Amino acid sequence: MREISYMEALREGLRQSMEKDDRVFLIGEDIGIYGGAFGVSAGLLDQFGPERIIDTPISEAGIAGACVGASVTGMRPVGEMQFSDFVVLAMEQIVMQGAKMRFMFGGKAELPFVIRLAGGSGTGAAAQHSESLENWFVHVPGLKVVMPSSPYDAKGLLLSAIEENNPVMFFEHKLLYKMKGDVPEEMYTIPIGKSKIVREGKDLTVIATSIMVPRSLEAAKILSKEGIELEVIDPRTLKPLDEEPIIKSVIKTGKALVVHEAVKTGGFGGEISAMIMESEAFDFLDAPVRRLAGLDVPIPYNRNLEYHAVPQVENIVEEARKIVQNIY
Amino acid sequence: MAKEIIMPKFGFTQEESEIMEWLHSEGDSVEKGDPIAVVSTDKISMEVEAPETGTLSGIRYQIGEIVPVTEIIAYILQPGERLPEIKGIEKLSKIESPKVKKDQILITPIAKKLADENSLDIDAIKGTGPQGKITKTDVENSLALQRNFEPGKERATPAARKIGREKQIDLSKVSGSGPKGRIQAEDMKQQRSKRIDEKSVGKTIKTSIPMIGMRRTIAQNMKHSWNDAPHMTLQINIPMDELEILREELNSAKQSTAEKISLTALITKAVAVVIRRSPIINSQYTEKEIKILDQINIGIATALEDGLIVPVVHHADKKDIKQISDEIKDLSLRSKEGKLEPIDLTNATFTISNLGMYGIDSFMAIINPPQSAILAVGKMTKFFVPAENNLPMIQKIISFTLSADHRVMDGAQAAKFLSDLKEIILDPKGLID
Repeated sequence: MREISYMEALREGLRQSMEKDDRVFLIGEDIGIYGGAFGVSAGLLDQFGPERIIDTPISEAGIAGACVGASVTGMRPVGEMQFSDFVVLAMEQIVMQGAKMRFMFGGKAELPFVIRLAGGSGTGAAAQHSESLENWFVHVPGLKVVMPSSPYDAKGLLLSAIEENNPVMFFEHKLLYKMKGDVPEEMYTIPIGKSKIVREGKDLTVIATSIMVPRSLEAAKILSKEGIELEVIDPRTLKPLDEEPIIKSVIKTGKALVVHEAVKTGGFGGEISAMIMESEAFDFLDAPVRRLAGLDVPIPYNRNLEYHAVPQVENIVEEARKIVQNIY
Repeated sequence: MAKEIIMPKFGFTQEESEIMEWLHSEGDSVEKGDPIAVVSTDKISMEVEAPETGTLSGIRYQIGEIVPVTEIIAYILQPGERLPEIKGIEKLSKIESPKVKKDQILITPIAKKLADENSLDIDAIKGTGPQGKITKTDVENSLALQRNFEPGKERATPAARKIGREKQIDLSKVSGSGPKGRIQAEDMKQQRSKRIDEKSVGKTIKTSIPMIGMRRTIAQNMKHSWNDAPHMTLQINIPMDELEILREELNSAKQSTAEKISLTALITKAVAVVIRRSPIINSQYTEKEIKILDQINIGIATALEDGLIVPVVHHADKKDIKQISDEIKDLSLRSKEGKLEPIDLTNATFTISNLGMYGIDSFMAIINPPQSAILAVGKMTKFFVPAENNLPMIQKIISFTLSADHRVMDGAQAAKFLSDLKEIILDPKGLID
């Protein structure tokens, strides 16, 4: 199969959706001539013109509001938050309006919009351009939250998100844009709400999201040499969460570690941990469920501090080893 | 001021004693010199006397508690006196009597403090620090392990509990291998297979013997010896006929059993003489050096109803056969009456253990640390053996088994000792000089 980058996979997904369905349009800051802050929409303006590739003023509330309004009238907008941090300015439109409208109109309104957000640290972009805010939206009924960790998943999930008749928050990771992987040329979808066992193992279930998936796989390779076999699960969709494969895996391994980049306190790891303990996997737990996550600090500008503020491969190796060896 | 009664120190290396009995209760009037409590060291029971006339008050330790020496165990009050505030005293006594560091047990000060505060026996704690040093965490884990035995409050993972419910295994009977003694699923599986083993032979607990006093000491010493000293064992069969003839000669003039020379005495003497030729047998192992000892003090393992003591014939090589025989008889008598003094039980440099009277042919004994060797003596048995003309003749034979610490000596040295012993028993005239 052909290898392309995560960014190219997203672009291809957008292009194919727009070719197939002329209700689909893109709206965001610098997505036209400039091609998007990370180049995802490069070249699309030439193909689809300014009617469908809409450059906006610097107004995230405007982008989100346009998505809500257009979607409720039958369009399928894809809005872009240049940096996921800026979504704070769009919260009213997304949370107050977009998430609730379908329910408040007794199911008579459909809101098929997607907000793409470039999240995560590791680029030296400091506190206001490096956050991982996905769990804010997990907490809001009416929104679906998707977080692909590979080029293949990026395209397949994006196509599903665009076909979805409810608002989808689509979290991309800045460091993953250059990641290469096999991606089919044709259109395909990966269902929202389906997790993926990306590596099988018997000793510990690692539930990782976004960039933490490749890091966990790297850690698994290292630990495998010590005879420790990690089972790595990528939920891919945080909401609705595909619980069963996680529960089954924990029943098998008896141990679980959740790894995410967002800060630990109030993060998605707490949700996964609680879900495990409420499930039938509880009786099979042979160690406390642990969370490895970002430190409770704004991402520092200093590159060394930034590195240590979020889980790295070596941290995952160490934490997983401790759990397997019953140190906790 | 209230007079303190402290736990006396009876022996040089003694660090603690167990309260066996209080002979008076709080409020009793006692005279100076009255025995007020019976305490037990590793080996013997002793009485604690009232240091002053007055009223016994403020008993701080109950029967069965193990108390470090010089620790205050109670007070004598005069009319109008009050007990001192315990807290202050505790601090004071801690400063005045820093406890003697146990042999070769490394422990951090904070860990030691924590262990002391919780009366935790540091012997039983496995250190995880450098050179096996016991750390605070080790003590905490050990304490948690103890707490684990609170019924219903066992530390266990959900998986372990599930197995417990399904297989009806009582968690309080399982020792956990996880952090702080947490019971893991694997522990339950092992327990289950253990239980099946026990079931198959119909094993149930009839009574429980607490691991205190002598039993505890024996357990600790034997465990240390078995774990630390690589035992090598050598066996030799020695014809005893010549020694028996000598014994009959020595005893022919004597009427009463009390005067008669015992076989044990002759063997003790023979061993003492032979040790002079193989000094390495009479040594102590330490990390840095092997100490070859000057005195030859032979311990004679003696069974008691509920344990074992080893009275010592000091300077056995310098005593004649009569002295040794009398001394062994005296020690044996007093040990049965529980009247041995600390000196009777200390400083042995080699031990003889004789189970011949139980009909045992031969056996292997565990070295009694810090000694380097122990001789196990079996029963005397008549055998037909080929004489010079190849016709059968009867010999009385005893099988001697030497257990020696291979860190200290090698096979040839141990073999030389046994072959020298054989030589002197075959021609025992040298034993009477």
